[in-house]
Amino acid sequence: MGAYIVRRLLWTPVLLFIIGLITFFLSLYGPGDPIQIIMQQYQDPAIVQRVREQRGLDKPVLVQYGIYIKNALRGDFGESFKFRGQTVSSLIGRRLWVSAQLGLASLVVSLILGIPFGLLAAQRQGRWQDTSIISGSLFFYSMPVFITAPFLLMVFVLWLKILPSHGWGGLFDARIIMPALILGLPGTAFIARMTRNSTVEVLSQDYVRTARSKGLSEFRVFWYHVLRNAMIPVFTVVGLGLATLVSGAIITETYFGIPGIGRLTLDAFFARDYPIITALTLLIAGAYVVANLIVDIGYRFLDPRIKFE
Amino acid sequence: MPNSLIEVKNLKMYFPVVSGILVPRKVSDIKAVDDISFDIRRGETFGLVGESGSGKTTVGLSLLQLYRPTSGQVLLEGKDLCKLRGSELRQVRRRMQAIFQDPYSSLNPRMNVFDIISEPLGIHHIMSPREYRRKVEEMLTLVDLDPGMISRYPHEFSAGERQRIGIARALAVGPEFIVCDEPVSSLDVCVQAQILDILDSLQTRLNLTYLFIAHDLAVVGYMSNRIAVMYLGQFVELGTRDQIFEKPLHPYTRALLSAVPIPDRAAEKKRQRVVFADETSGALTPSNGCSFAPRCTVGDEQCHEAVPEMEMREAEHWVACWKS
Repeated sequence: MGAYIVRRLLWTPVLLFIIGLITFFLSLYGPGDPIQIIMQQYQDPAIVQRVREQRGLDKPVLVQYGIYIKNALRGDFGESFKFRGQTVSSLIGRRLWVSAQLGLASLVVSLILGIPFGLLAAQRQGRWQDTSIISGSLFFYSMPVFITAPFLLMVFVLWLKILPSHGWGGLFDARIIMPALILGLPGTAFIARMTRNSTVEVLSQDYVRTARSKGLSEFRVFWYHVLRNAMIPVFTVVGLGLATLVSGAIITETYFGIPGIGRLTLDAFFARDYPIITALTLLIAGAYVVANLIVDIGYRFLDPRIKFE
Repeated sequence: MPNSLIEVKNLKMYFPVVSGILVPRKVSDIKAVDDISFDIRRGETFGLVGESGSGKTTVGLSLLQLYRPTSGQVLLEGKDLCKLRGSELRQVRRRMQAIFQDPYSSLNPRMNVFDIISEPLGIHHIMSPREYRRKVEEMLTLVDLDPGMISRYPHEFSAGERQRIGIARALAVGPEFIVCDEPVSSLDVCVQAQILDILDSLQTRLNLTYLFIAHDLAVVGYMSNRIAVMYLGQFVELGTRDQIFEKPLHPYTRALLSAVPIPDRAAEKKRQRVVFADETSGALTPSNGCSFAPRCTVGDEQCHEAVPEMEMREAEHWVACWKS
């Protein structure tokens, strides 16, 4: 088992190196010249050339990438083009914490609502509770944020006047409720369906009948035998959902004026702020690689049938 | 009056057929078990044969109250199990256990052997947790498994070994009555023999009573004292092992027997098979008459008009047929 984890960990930097290379190439050969953005109105060829040399943009691409990686390993992801004098790490760092809190809150919403609804639907399989929960979850899963956000704002802020409309105050501030709810709705729907389906499947397994024949109470049959097996696929979904904690939520953050990664991503794209775009891509890719690793390792603890190869 | 452990009276188990997406409603019933009465005597093995879908397993699960019967009585020493609820019912489970057909799916994959076998011990307050380990090892030895495998998981065992874990699990609470629901159907023939031998020797040692369900007449014949033949949810014939094998009365029983290969070349060559024209005509749409009539080789008008009742032809030998 140890060997497996070590091998997976050794592969992680290789993956990140390749992802970084692709992003780096795309940003250099994509449309728009970063120098023009730095220079803006100053277009004197001599100055442009000097800045190009200063920033190392005249060297071959692979050399540039080498320098980038060398600095990145020391935690230096360069300087933003748009926000002069600010390092990429400081720009991302602050917002990362904001987005992670928001993501965590929405994940908690998804779990707290999704799992009970899914279990209820599975227990009332084929009856009206099941039908309404499953069709309701399909509705919310397919509803885009730019519809749910205005609607919930209308209800909770304009009519009921019980929640603040926008802004940011951290994890324990009333202003996080609306965006967390809106971000968590599709997750809730997905987890509810997932929970329902895997629970229904486990309920039909013979070992549930075996458990009943042992004379166990329905309560123990359900919580111990059914739930422990039904939660394995849900764990996978939640585990991969961890990666979204760092990617932020572009629309929701913009809508509610939250200074998170999503807003930064949008700003960086509009400004062709390549150092930020590259760093963000690496960050998100890294998060997915790590989340996958956590799921793979966790899976093997949850399901004894899976062996470490 | 022989000493009966279990008495079954007019047992019916219907499953509703539901249709409709938004407003589900019952449209009809599948009569998986339709009005069956019999008794199982202390210490005997009561065999139950019939083809797939005849309701054998449903009978077994209804006796154990894993299916709650639609109507009828299941009496364990005079106490009606169908009337028991909740904890009363769970207490009775200590006296009756089951060995299930599929050794793969009937063991929880996330529990190791120790957990699987010891779990019911705590529920029934049989002993203190300190004694579990010794008890589980004892049960494993009883079914010829190595007690050293106590912390392995089900997927690490072969089908035959898993079935033995199932037997050990069933026996751990010290039951008197065991429903063996096709315990060897999914095993290789040589493994089948081992499992049957274990069941046989445990029966004598622990004074167990079996309801032995199988679709293989040879297996049922090897194990049983008395045998009931089931067809579409009803008994068509019931008798001692010898009566069923030597003097079968019902045409369906005869057809089943004719399908058993004989391990002797000359005799096997002479064996004449009774072949049916069609598959089961369906449990959903029975005719007015005998449910076997559409496939019967000896039936006539009478069989399509009225349902034959079970009648005793000689001591212990019952049959439901107009023509025998």
